[in-house]
Amino acid sequence: MRCERCGKELTNRIIKINGVTYCENCARLMGYDRFLKDPADFLGNPFSQLDEIASSLMQMNELDFGNSTLTCPKCGMTLREFETEGRVGCIECYNTFNNNIVREMFKQQGNSEYAGRLPAQSADTDAETSDVPQAKKKAAAPKTVEMEISDKAEEPVKETKAPAAKAAKGGLTLDQLMKADLGMLSDEDLEKGIKVAAEAEEYKLASKLRDELKGRKDGGNNV
Amino acid sequence: MSEWYMNEGKDNDVVLSTKACIVRNIKGYNFMPRLDDKECKSLLETIDKVIDKDKYTGGCAADFDKQTVLRLTRLQILGRESNQMATPERKAFYYNDDVSLSIAVGSGEHLTVKAMAAGHDISVYKKAEKEVLDLESKLDIAFSESYGFLTSHVRLAGTGLKILYTVSLPAISKTEGGIAALTQRVSQYEWAIYPFAERGEIADSDVYIISSVNTLGVTEDEVLKRGEMLIADVIKAERALREEIATNQKDQSEDIYGRSYGTLKYAGMISRSEALQALGWLRLYHEYYDSGDIKVSCNTINKLTMDILWEPDAPSKKSSQSAASQKYRAQGIKKILKGDD
Repeated sequence: MRCERCGKELTNRIIKINGVTYCENCARLMGYDRFLKDPADFLGNPFSQLDEIASSLMQMNELDFGNSTLTCPKCGMTLREFETEGRVGCIECYNTFNNNIVREMFKQQGNSEYAGRLPAQSADTDAETSDVPQAKKKAAAPKTVEMEISDKAEEPVKETKAPAAKAAKGGLTLDQLMKADLGMLSDEDLEKGIKVAAEAEEYKLASKLRDELKGRKDGGNNV
Repeated sequence: MSEWYMNEGKDNDVVLSTKACIVRNIKGYNFMPRLDDKECKSLLETIDKVIDKDKYTGGCAADFDKQTVLRLTRLQILGRESNQMATPERKAFYYNDDVSLSIAVGSGEHLTVKAMAAGHDISVYKKAEKEVLDLESKLDIAFSESYGFLTSHVRLAGTGLKILYTVSLPAISKTEGGIAALTQRVSQYEWAIYPFAERGEIADSDVYIISSVNTLGVTEDEVLKRGEMLIADVIKAERALREEIATNQKDQSEDIYGRSYGTLKYAGMISRSEALQALGWLRLYHEYYDSGDIKVSCNTINKLTMDILWEPDAPSKKSSQSAASQKYRAQGIKKILKGDD
């Protein structure tokens, strides 16, 4: 049997309220704490009410006044669950936890902008399996191991224009970006700036830069 | 029809397989973590209706017998983790004749389309994309202009695409600092490399997975091109190091090559790590051995490596180390090597 709110498998305790089955956690979140109490608690401990007050006072110290109780209205997923599991429960979660999701995307990928294909449209790719020359048996002059790997390690920056290198080369520093009038920056500067800000975990700045860039692109499209 | 990994792949001295995985979710259903059993059943039925039954076999995982589960694990449709087949009534798997193309339902996301090929073969992307396009035309797929294809794992949102090369790198791993240098190199392409092991397992081979990371800020084309440049470098580096070892340490390499072959061919019992170590040496010196006494093809080395790697029991589990398992493994290896003689 599963909790009808969160879908989790019910293991040790089943709480049924108004015909709906909840797990212990969901019942607590829905404010049905009173249903969770064992009647034996009342009989065995005449001072249970006092204990309750004391424990709630203790819990006050642990309270988080951020928006960790933010809950998706559609699937019931909480922000805390998203932060713990790295997964969301439904499409609506993308709206509910938007800021946190964007932050997570920046953290993981240094980007939150979609650049791929549209549904039911094929990706425009001509990528083919590259030809790598076969090994030659008993070559005359073997190369040294270190050279082979470290020399190669220098190349891809040029070939692939890896974003980390782009941000470092010729782009503005974080300090400059923070003080800059965004309207005066070029598209290229904005793109580089997004990377720099994301790497420095300055997500607010990164979103501002992204919005500026997006605004320009949207504006351009309208023209 | 022969199974996909029996084919002779390109660059198969280094690359065991190339895989393209694309994930999608369907609008109107919660994602898997929040999908109750009733909704899940409805999801499975909705997807089942649009699957081309002339092309695919399979269905709900709860209907699979043990042999099918073992076969699908060996053919890399199912992972080897024991939780793969937990709640089988909430999952479905469809696969084509040679199992190179599969559609998994309920494994992390609503849909996971996977195309696989032996060796180095980026055409797997187009094969997977073709199937995904077909599903996108028949189903209402969760998509946002800002984040692309929406997924329950936020790290997959965007293209929902992963390209994975499974590579065997005996020479790089035997070279001091080789894997560290390679890891650095791979990260410059914004890709990742990790040893072949699933959760809770011990990495006990020189087999690595090189995988794309980004699903946002890049087009599918960029991912593929970057991957092709990277894998070409990895192949070149591994081959150069093999040449280095085989030339500079010829006698030792030849000796260990013969011993490794002997162990594989004549052992009555063999552990998983011993077999994988021996296969690593065979691969490393394979191109350089020319006395003609030992006949084993790259394809056979790959088949054996994959069979052992995808054994359903994880190496950390006692069962795969039991005498019966070791005996069974040794017999299987002998049988395959006999075929090459």
